Amino acid sequence: MDIGLFHIQPAAPEPIYRQIMAQLRRLIASGQLAPGALLPSVRDVAGGHAINPMTVSRAYGLLENEGVLERQRGKGMVVATTHRPRPSSDQRLAALVPSLREVARQTRELKLPNGLVLERLRTLLEDEHERITPARSKIR
Amino acid sequence: MNASLQLAPRFAEPVPLVAAGVTKRFEGIAVLDRVDLRLPAGAVLGLIGRNGAGKTTLIRILMGLTLPDAGAATVFGDPALDMSDTSKVRLAYVPQQPDALAWMRVGDMLSFIGSFYPNWDQNFVRDTLIRWDLPPGKSLAKLSTGERQRVALIRALAIRPALLVLDEPAAALDPVARRDLLREIAVRAGESGTTVLFSTHIVSDLERVASHVAFLHRGKFLLNTQMDDLKETHTRLVLPPAAAAQLTGTLPGELRRRRQHDGSLAIVLAREAGRAWPAAVALPGASLEVLDLEDLFVEMTA
Repeated sequence: MDIGLFHIQPAAPEPIYRQIMAQLRRLIASGQLAPGALLPSVRDVAGGHAINPMTVSRAYGLLENEGVLERQRGKGMVVATTHRPRPSSDQRLAALVPSLREVARQTRELKLPNGLVLERLRTLLEDEHERITPARSKIR
Repeated sequence: MNASLQLAPRFAEPVPLVAAGVTKRFEGIAVLDRVDLRLPAGAVLGLIGRNGAGKTTLIRILMGLTLPDAGAATVFGDPALDMSDTSKVRLAYVPQQPDALAWMRVGDMLSFIGSFYPNWDQNFVRDTLIRWDLPPGKSLAKLSTGERQRVALIRALAIRPALLVLDEPAAALDPVARRDLLREIAVRAGESGTTVLFSTHIVSDLERVASHVAFLHRGKFLLNTQMDDLKETHTRLVLPPAAAAQLTGTLPGELRRRRQHDGSLAIVLAREAGRAWPAAVALPGASLEVLDLEDLFVEMTA
């Protein structure tokens, strides 16, 4: 796995270690990172993104505690193999809840009606689906 | 607030950098007022403060270049004013305006300095001179202020110091060189346990690379905390006028309070990691806003 899979935004509301945790959870939930897949080393992530290595090891360590990652001797950190191959949709949904909560918060701050936001979300979901479905994108 | 930085010491050896009760007055005005600081091995502390907050004075006292009126500083356990050679050789310090050996050429000066240091990294010097656009044959006297500071940064990093102290290093660097410097700091802190203190006013640099952050304001630390926890342990509570009227006294964890133009109240709150916010956050119309480092700094010092 390449360090480019992480998108680090220092000024975002989420601390950097949480950004890394959330992104790894999503990559694992979607199957883009399979059980046993090797993660980039703390040094590579820290060097590549110019972030503090303790931030990266904290994110890895917390996910290790949760059983999402495993430390393999002589190899490094890998996606846990003892995990079910694919988490249930409830578990995958749980990975999305922080982002949805953020949308909910901003919806309230902008005083937007819920229906309008849900409608736009539906359109965005459909766009995204089309974007990654090769058969349909050929027609476009 | 003078909390000591929480980080397990990596080596059973003296703490790299300590200030205890440091006070300094200029013409009767306290520039530093009983400042305590403890920087354990491997920590990267970003020191932020407005102009005149006392950052440079604090750094100079820590480096033994300025005599404090009260209190003391130590470097690897040695008094800053009387450092042993073993401590000096492990320390690199880059002031805002370095001005040493100006009659020499860049390359000659770096070779000369390098001969004094056992861990001198000549490959790093060669590569970084090119990346940072510095001609080795040019004499130091003919360099601009920014170029001179870049040379001083290369010199400091090439020593492979155990303790690196940088006063406003970002000022002289373009974005590419700045990112290079941050990468060096990040990798060395992780690999060699290098301890770093740097002052800056470019707050986003600090959010990337610092493990700890301290706000220096009017000679005191307003904040001295772990970077990772900062966004979860600090928030801005905004209360509309009606809700604000229900408040009696200050809230638990309140750091700052100001009335906004529309009559609402903005209150900066701090909590311990894992603890709840005070009950006032549930008042009608109340909203909590995440503060990034820059917001927090402005709220605390404006």
